[in-house]
Amino acid sequence: MRDYALLHVNGVPREVRGREALMMLATWLRKEAGLPGTKIVCAEGDCGACTVLRAFDTPGTESLDAPFEVMNSCIAIVAQMDGAHIVTVEGMQDGDALAPAQEAMRRCHGSQCGFCTPGFVMALSGMLEQHGGVAVERKVAANHLTGNLCRCTGYEPILEAACTVRTSPRHVVGPRYGTRERRERARAAMQDGLQIEHDGVRFAAPTSLREACAFVAAHPGCRVVGASTDLGVPINKGRPMPEALLSLHLIPELHEARLTRSEVVVGARVPLAKVRHLCEQAAPEFARFLNLFASPQIKNVATLVGNIATGSPIGDTLPFLLVSNAMVHVASRPGGRGAVQRREIPMTRLYRGYRQLALEPGELITHVSFERTRPKEVVRLFKVSQRKDLDISTVSAAFALTLAGPRTKGSRQVTEARVALGGVAATPIRLPEVEKALVGTLDAARIEPIAALIGRAIAPLSDVRGTAAYRTMLAANLFRQFAQELLDG
Amino acid sequence: MADRAESETPRVGAAVLPDPGSVPHDSATTHVTGRSEYVDDRPMLRGELLCGIVYSPHARARLTRLDLSAALAVPGVACAVTAADVAHNLWGSIIVDQPLLVEQEAQYAGEVVAVLAAESRESLAKAMRAVRVEWEKLPAIRSIDQAVAAGAFIGAERSIARGDADAALAAAPHRLSGTVVIEGADHFYLESQAAIAYPRADGPMEVHSSTQHPTETQHVVAEAIGVPFNEVVCIARRLGGGFGGKESQAAPIAAYAALVARKTGRPARLAISKDDDMIITGKRNPFQIRYEVGFDGEGRLLALKAQLHSDGGAYADLSTAIMERALLHSDNAYCIPDMHVRGQVCRTNHHPHTAFRGFGGPKGVAMIESVIEDVARTLGRDALDVRKRNVYAPGRDTTHYGQKVENNCLPALFESLEARCDYRRRREDITKWNADRSSNPRGLSMTAVKFGISFTTRFLNQANALVNVHRDGTVQVSTGAVEMGQGVNTRIAAIVAERLGVPIGAVRVMVTSTEKNANTSPTAASAGTDLNGAAAAAACDRICARLANLALHLRDLPPERWPSRTAGLGTQPEAQVTDHPPAEPVRFEAGRVHAGPFSIAFADLAREAWLSRISICEYGHFATPDLGFNKLTGQGRAFLYYTQGVAASEVEIDRFSGEVKVRRVDLLMDMGRPINHALDVGQVTGGFVQGMGWVTTEHLFYNADGLLVSHSPSTYKIPSIQDTPRVFNAHLVFNEGNAANIRGTKAAGEPPLLLSLSVWTAIRDAVMNARAARSGGRDLVPMAIPATAERVLRALEPEAFAAIETR
Repeated sequence: MRDYALLHVNGVPREVRGREALMMLATWLRKEAGLPGTKIVCAEGDCGACTVLRAFDTPGTESLDAPFEVMNSCIAIVAQMDGAHIVTVEGMQDGDALAPAQEAMRRCHGSQCGFCTPGFVMALSGMLEQHGGVAVERKVAANHLTGNLCRCTGYEPILEAACTVRTSPRHVVGPRYGTRERRERARAAMQDGLQIEHDGVRFAAPTSLREACAFVAAHPGCRVVGASTDLGVPINKGRPMPEALLSLHLIPELHEARLTRSEVVVGARVPLAKVRHLCEQAAPEFARFLNLFASPQIKNVATLVGNIATGSPIGDTLPFLLVSNAMVHVASRPGGRGAVQRREIPMTRLYRGYRQLALEPGELITHVSFERTRPKEVVRLFKVSQRKDLDISTVSAAFALTLAGPRTKGSRQVTEARVALGGVAATPIRLPEVEKALVGTLDAARIEPIAALIGRAIAPLSDVRGTAAYRTMLAANLFRQFAQELLDG
Repeated sequence: MADRAESETPRVGAAVLPDPGSVPHDSATTHVTGRSEYVDDRPMLRGELLCGIVYSPHARARLTRLDLSAALAVPGVACAVTAADVAHNLWGSIIVDQPLLVEQEAQYAGEVVAVLAAESRESLAKAMRAVRVEWEKLPAIRSIDQAVAAGAFIGAERSIARGDADAALAAAPHRLSGTVVIEGADHFYLESQAAIAYPRADGPMEVHSSTQHPTETQHVVAEAIGVPFNEVVCIARRLGGGFGGKESQAAPIAAYAALVARKTGRPARLAISKDDDMIITGKRNPFQIRYEVGFDGEGRLLALKAQLHSDGGAYADLSTAIMERALLHSDNAYCIPDMHVRGQVCRTNHHPHTAFRGFGGPKGVAMIESVIEDVARTLGRDALDVRKRNVYAPGRDTTHYGQKVENNCLPALFESLEARCDYRRRREDITKWNADRSSNPRGLSMTAVKFGISFTTRFLNQANALVNVHRDGTVQVSTGAVEMGQGVNTRIAAIVAERLGVPIGAVRVMVTSTEKNANTSPTAASAGTDLNGAAAAAACDRICARLANLALHLRDLPPERWPSRTAGLGTQPEAQVTDHPPAEPVRFEAGRVHAGPFSIAFADLAREAWLSRISICEYGHFATPDLGFNKLTGQGRAFLYYTQGVAASEVEIDRFSGEVKVRRVDLLMDMGRPINHALDVGQVTGGFVQGMGWVTTEHLFYNADGLLVSHSPSTYKIPSIQDTPRVFNAHLVFNEGNAANIRGTKAAGEPPLLLSLSVWTAIRDAVMNARAARSGGRDLVPMAIPATAERVLRALEPEAFAAIETR
């Protein structure tokens, strides 16, 4: 058992123990590692000022070639970065030569006050790692920079920098910092479980599901941390750290993501970016939707299972999972003894109340599986928020209809319907009455009665993101939009 | 100035200024490499303390218990500071009415009552959780209407009038009246407020602050800790954005750190979180404007009466000056013969609202631009035609406060942009598009800006600068200007380089410190470069005069008798040189000084001067000439000149959600002769997008207790990179006629923000187009700022919302 997390920072191996291992990565970089170039603004993963590059070779695979990808360092606990290779803005320059992203930002006058600039440089560098020397279009560049806020430039010069950046092989981060020697060293360390204890907080990262289940059984109230994109926020805002934290990053099987003939199976450690990739054919609408969902910094680390376990009524993936007959797979070892016991919970029965899950004490989520979109099925996902991108939903909606018969203009035969909404109740919900009403012939005359039914079926609250009336209006309008597209298409 | 010929109307043609190849921002390289140091990047010193703040969660509440004993008992906690520790617990930029720390009663949610200091962030977090505070909630004023009803005001009502607005209104063929509601906005500078105070045992307290106003911060700190001004030095290296939010409101943060440093004798750092920053600091003042306008059938504005009320928050801060600027900008680009505008700041239980890019200007402009849209729609005319009919032009170029609009580009800007952006064809396209009721409504609107440059308070229009020429010909310049991204240092360096005829690389602008430049004005009102650049230029001019006289002297002297050959031995009499202009022309150019055929390297001349005991350092002072605005009569020359521009925005509304997409923006801005083209364009696009946030998605949401709920980017939505206009054509125009200002340039900071109002008027246009397509009428639909998606959908579907809400 190790008492330190091993991370490489700009190529330098660091064994981090105790108090420092429980700090947030950005704070640790700035205050302990002498790298204040990384900035902290929101401390909640919403502005990108803390962006760094990270490569993590998952345990249990042969390959040692994980790419360097962007992530927010402000809401990641240092101990979770165990085994990772981190590159900060200070690591980008090569001698006196500016890295391509740095040169482009300078040349295009992409910095004014400079406070967001290191984050943009890193986000741009992440884009270059992915796209290599290929010039990108404005739209692609914007997607890579969605997670970074700037208040000075209006983004125009930054977009120009992104579209005119001149790459050079010398500056590619992967080969420079992810050397075989460093990757092997990290892999070797990860053979061993990790346990950090400091000031009444215990952080454990075992190497097997057996040990993980035992830890959960021994520590009631233990929080399982995936990317801590949810947990990191309240900690940054003054709440105490939970007394027991469990990270699953050393358990090979939980990194698994695969397609079966009818299903998509996603392990607890699989980040959304990988889910999106996996779903491009299997659930194309979900893949499209994941492009709108969060920033690259979040999607590269935050997990689908984390989104489920957080159980927010506005969790963006949840309406989709609800209409895709998702099953949540859990494991436990009652009393911490014996073999690992497993069971499945249908997604529709997972939420008991506001952020309350139907898990028994000692159970942890290992996988989620959901149905692939079938040929006769139409799936559409919607999300409305105050701002189009990188925003929490006011209302989200998922529609899945199974159609029969020939396509006729203005009319469809619906044999099965599933409808789910987020942001209109304490949990994401399915709407059985609406689903029933949708079965049969759907034509223009049916739109308004069903929209009205949706309006009556929900009783949302008013809050910072919108009034109850707005949410009601949106829920009905999203159906109107969906139905019209369907009938026009 | 009134005798200036009207034929001087500047040429603003089809040609826009190309970028001649701008020098990057002087911090560009350190910005992109992460080496630019901000306050909280400074290394921790041994013994340094980290501070946290405790504040009221209620709009108005009596402090009934403040128990810090458990917090102080946490290991590693060094001290707490409360009102009892403050030497002089009252400050204020204009009216001294705000306590630094609550004594008995908090007047807003976010008002600070105590400061804790600890040796580590972990100890501090524990201590913060151990604070026990109890409050008794008191009735609070939460809106302008409530304040007006209660007679709760800050300062006296201000009024500006010309002619007889009542009579002109009565006589006008058409009249309209209405109310414009404008909400606040957070500055959302990326770097939250921060300060570190170093208590020097052998010298003054040294305070590093993210302040736009080092002098005021120095003074507030000195009074807080009870020492004279000369016992405090305030240093502002650079800011991670300011936008007005660090003009007044940086001072208390610095004072808190200094109070801890004073009490403990240890360095103290207070770098507040974004959440705390948004909760405790004031915002752009909300406004409520009632107006009545009279006009004729041609759309000619004949009379305007308006009553402006602003929410000043709990304390005066800068709100009275902000109101003044709102009144001064309620004409914007348009000449209104009979006009009477009145403004009153209301006292409420909100955070004390403060300066924000544009100061009051955007509110006055929002009102009049909205009025013009309404006039046009009422008459069935295109709003651009109404604007062009009313724009300041030769013969009708005096404002309601009696200042002539000189160097007026506005008519030419309207003409030029109308052609450039293909306004008429697009208007037709949009009308056709909107006729299909199943399409997403589109709108198009062109608005203008005529932004007055100068502080409206005359005495603030002064600056000083220290220019040190070194013997190798390099230069260090220090001014009171604070670099916060706008590029003021780069511009000042360019001015100095130009005056001394040295390459810009030979000029380094030094850290801003009250040690070198005292009694400075805030870096605000867009005037940072104008004032400080002019002061630096004045210093350069005196240095140049002496060097020029010396050059003429050397020209007539055989080189073997030059000081560099003789000064060490003292064999020659010294040159006697004055500050007076040289008798013959001397040019400073490309690192050399030329007097006729004679030429000497600048560095060599500097060395000869030093050897001749001639000072090559100088202190310059600048006071803006010809200002004379009388605040009590509301008349006079308030501004040195105007920065002008126009923008046309096209928007599309998602009819299902109310979300707005800005399809295209065309913008022309007159910056005179830009010092740095790229920096100016950066101010234009940046200011515009910042303003877009204010008029669309940035929504301040308070709970019933008056506490700001949208206090982080997860709930407060500034524009993201996806929100920028799909097509954004922003250009500067050619104008060499601004003789009033340093090297014919114009200030860039605030004016472009006001052009974002074209997005708001375009949204209104789209909503009214959609409603008209449905009803065939010409309904005027009010729209508050910000036009959030919900508000837009409500405006589109009032009946559907009414049905839901009465269910």
